[in-house]
This record gives sequence, C-alpha cells and structure tokens, in this order.
Amino acid sequence: MSYVVGYCMGNIAVQTQDIIKVYKGQVRQRARALDGLTLSVREGEIFGLLGRNGAGKTTLLRILTTLIPPTSGTASVMGYDVQRDALKVRQHICAVLQENALEMFLSVKDNLTTYARFHSMPSHERERRAVHVMERFGLAEHGSKKVMDLSGGLKRRLQVAKVFMVDKPVVFLDEATTGMDPIYKRAVLDAIREQARSGRTILLTTHILQEAEELCDTIAMINRGKIVALGDVNAIKAKATSVFEVSITFEHLTDDVVASLHALAPMRLEQSGTSVVLCVNGVETHLLETITQLSRRVPIAHLEINGGTLEDAFVELLGPAEEKKT
Amino acid sequence: MNMILAVLYREYRIRATSFVWMFFDLFMPLVYLLMFGIGLDKALSGGIVSEGITMSYQSFFLAGVLSMACFGIAINTSYGFFVDRDNGIFYEFLTYPMTRSQFLIGKIVFNCSLAVLQSVITVSVGVLVLDIPIRWPLMTVALVGIVLGTAGWFFFLAIFALRIHRNDIFNTVLNVAYFVLMFGSSMFYPVDTMPTWLRTLSLFNPLTWHTDILRFATIGFGSFETIMAEGIAFGGFLIVSFLLAVHTLRNAILR
Repeated sequence: MSYVVGYCMGNIAVQTQDIIKVYKGQVRQRARALDGLTLSVREGEIFGLLGRNGAGKTTLLRILTTLIPPTSGTASVMGYDVQRDALKVRQHICAVLQENALEMFLSVKDNLTTYARFHSMPSHERERRAVHVMERFGLAEHGSKKVMDLSGGLKRRLQVAKVFMVDKPVVFLDEATTGMDPIYKRAVLDAIREQARSGRTILLTTHILQEAEELCDTIAMINRGKIVALGDVNAIKAKATSVFEVSITFEHLTDDVVASLHALAPMRLEQSGTSVVLCVNGVETHLLETITQLSRRVPIAHLEINGGTLEDAFVELLGPAEEKKT
Repeated sequence: MNMILAVLYREYRIRATSFVWMFFDLFMPLVYLLMFGIGLDKALSGGIVSEGITMSYQSFFLAGVLSMACFGIAINTSYGFFVDRDNGIFYEFLTYPMTRSQFLIGKIVFNCSLAVLQSVITVSVGVLVLDIPIRWPLMTVALVGIVLGTAGWFFFLAIFALRIHRNDIFNTVLNVAYFVLMFGSSMFYPVDTMPTWLRTLSLFNPLTWHTDILRFATIGFGSFETIMAEGIAFGGFLIVSFLLAVHTLRNAILR
C-alpha cells in the first residue's frame, strides 16, 4: 500500500528514482535495504524519514551523501547525480551521521574550525562562527577541552553543532538529537527551523515522532526499503483512518466498564482516576455503539474523540500487523 | 589543493596535541640507530661483511633504520584508519567536499614530510656522532626513496586497513607483516649471508628492494644494475598499491 499526498512546489533539492540497494552477501536472500524508492524534496523543506530500525533510512542517507552507491536507480542532490558528480554533491551538502564523528584528540573549538576548513571557510570567518556556534549550543565553557574528555551528551551536541558552522544548501541529519537533553534538543530544533527558513533543505531521520510532527513539512514513512506513506503531518495522520483517540471521564468507574474498554483491544489505554484515554483501531460506528452502551451503565461526564496521532499512524502503517502483510 | 592542505593541517593538529607522539615521530629511528646500531656494532666488534666489503654495523644499518621508519610511519597511518573509524570521523570525511584521492594524498604528503624530517635528523646525527660515511651526491635520491617508500607502504597497508573491519584481524595482519617482511629482508643483515630459503624470500620482498635502494643512496653499497631493477620493481609495487587503495576506498567503504 502506498500513499502519495501533496505536490511539489519550487526547485527540487533532493530526488531519488527507483533506488534499489542490495548489500553484499544479501543477494541470495533477496534482502533489499532499499526497494525501488522514489521521492523528491523541495528546496527549503524539512523532510523527515520515519521508519522502524532497518527500514532503510540510514542506507538512503548514505547513498545521498555519496558514501555508498545504489545497486540501481538514480539519486541527485541539487541537480547533481550522486554517482557521476559525487564531488559536486559533496560540495553542496553537510551531514550529521548516526554515529558520533569527532576528532577525539582535538579540542571542541578545533573540531569546529577544522570542519569549517574542510568546507573552505576563510580563517577569520571560521573563528567568528566557532564562537557563535559554541555559545548557541552551550559549548563555550568547554571550548578548549579535548573531545575525549567530554560526556556523551556534549559529544553529540558538538557533532550536531558542526553543521551550523557552514552554509551548505542541503543538510542531512541522521537521528541527530538522539542522546541530547531536552533543552539543547530544543536549541537544535530551533536552529534547524531557522536554517530551513533561510532556504536550506533539511533531510532528517528520527525515531522521536513528536519531533518529526512539530518540525517536518513533509514526512515519508519507510518500511522494508519502500515508501508506505508520504505527505505532510496531517496527511500522514489521516492514513490512520481507523485509529481514534478517545478520552472519557466517567462519573464513577467500575471494573466491568474497564473490562468493556479492554474488550475493544485498544492500542494503548491510560487510566487516571475516573478518566480513561484509549487509542483504538476499529470501525467508528462500532466504537460509538460501545460508548453509548457504557453511558447507559455509568454516566459520562466528558467525552472527546480525535483522530490518531503521528505515533498511531506510525504503528498502524509500520506496526506488527503491516509486518505480517509484507 | 585546498583539500590536501586541509588534510595536512588536520594530521598536524592531531600530532601536535601530544609531546610523546612528536618525539616518536621525529626521533624514533635515531634512537633505534643509536641503541640497537651501536649495541650490535660492539657485539660484532670487527663490523659486518657483505659481498666482500667490511663496514661498521651502524653504516650498514642506517638504510635499514630509514626504511624501517618509512614502514613504521605507514603502519601507524594505516592503523589510524581504525582509530578514525572508531571515532566515526572516517565516514564523515568521505562526505566532505574532496575526492577520495585527495584524502589519501593529503594523508601521505603529511607522512612523507614526517619521514623526510626523521631521515634528515637521523642521517645528520649518524654523520656527526657515529661517523657514518654518507655519499652526499646521492642524498637527493635517498630522500626521494624515503618519500616513495613511505607512500608505497602506506598505500599497500591502506588496502588491508580499508578492507578489514575487525581490529583484531588487522592487528594480526600487521604483526605478521612486521615479522615476515622485516626479518625476511636486508634491513638488519646482509642478504648474501642468509640461508638460501630466507635469501629467496627476501629477494621478492619490497622491503628488501626499498632498503637496498636507500643503502645505495646513503653509503653507496650495492651494484647499480641491481638497484635499478629493484627501483623498477618498487615503482610497480607503489603504483599497483595506489590504484588498489583508491579502488578500495571508492568501493568498499561500507559493507
């Protein structure tokens, strides 16, 4: 099942066409990391790639950053083919890879300036930008420390801070905020938004769906190397057509009412006092009938029914049921 | 050019963070020559004889210590791939705006510069303190040999460093390479005094070719015809290693 929602406006910054990637040793098993993946990302867009572990997100980013070639299909960044014009592609991108990538023996400041030097930034600009970036990401007091002496969270912050040293038009972020505390995660998200507003294209992967929901203009959900849903957040949420989040406050709550709610086989159920929030996957009329029956047994003080969250859509589109189908 | 300079600068910054590294980078071959060279020269008392020529062991060993320095620098640099991979920076480098060749060349230019500096220090002290009779007119050839030797060994070992992803396996390869290549060469002793099987092995060993070239260029030992043949063979070894290293870097980055 594949959904395509919305349409492209403006210039295309990143494009893939029928990308297939089969890793060595997997050919006989016919296991494909990417299986005919096609997508387009517009300039200035924040594009989120979501999927379970092993869905193919990192493989796609590795192809787009010219680290590995696709087995077949084409991919381009700012109009340059990732295989034929790999150097041109690298001149237009910067990337935060999933693994930490730091010079352990160098100081925080030297990591930033060395990175900028590789991106041909003039000396005075490197120094000025390093001071600004260190202040923004809370690294100023650690500027002269060697990276090997930093905590894990600080290392990740530095890793992400590097891409804000340079002004490349396309930024790839592979689970960039993983391991960051909420305050600096917020600073990174703000910085990403700011960069997108200035015209940079951001392509990111994340497992934090709330982050994707508030940040991304467009989301692609990937499963087993294929896109299963593509569109803006609301469009993706709408894919979970049979998922409802129901909040009910009863005047009093009895065990048999709770048992009746459990009988709906909710995807999640949270109970607090006489209030219950449950997420169910089912037919709307059946759900309403059940609630009506419950209201006859125990009066309902408050009732609210909403569509599912992005997480609900994620679970419905990529969860165990979909896994069985594939 | 900017990219090669950026790689050079990065290598320099890392080395400059440790005084111990700087000491070993610059003085290790000299310390080897002064300790091992002098010790063995005293043990041999009358010097060493090869192809009917008698010379002090330090004179003989000077070329050995220079080729060992090139080999050692190449081993350290290729091992650096593992450190870079552990630190994650290796893959990030490959997304920087430079070609794979520029990356390799930047690394090798830095290490060749280091090898030349090491050699100048070692030869100077060898002449001034140990009275080694250097053949000065061929010193340029020696320096070229040091540069090409370092490059050749780096490219050769980089192929293994890039293909092998497990640290323990790469360490084993390095240990075997150290043991077989160094002791199966003319680095420590003359080839003509070796048993036949070891002599045969050493004749096909690029470390023997490299050491012989440096020995000819520093103290004038060896026949010109043999050195030319060994020079051509080492040139072939260098070119093949470079092409294979670039190919490996392009195609076998990630499994």
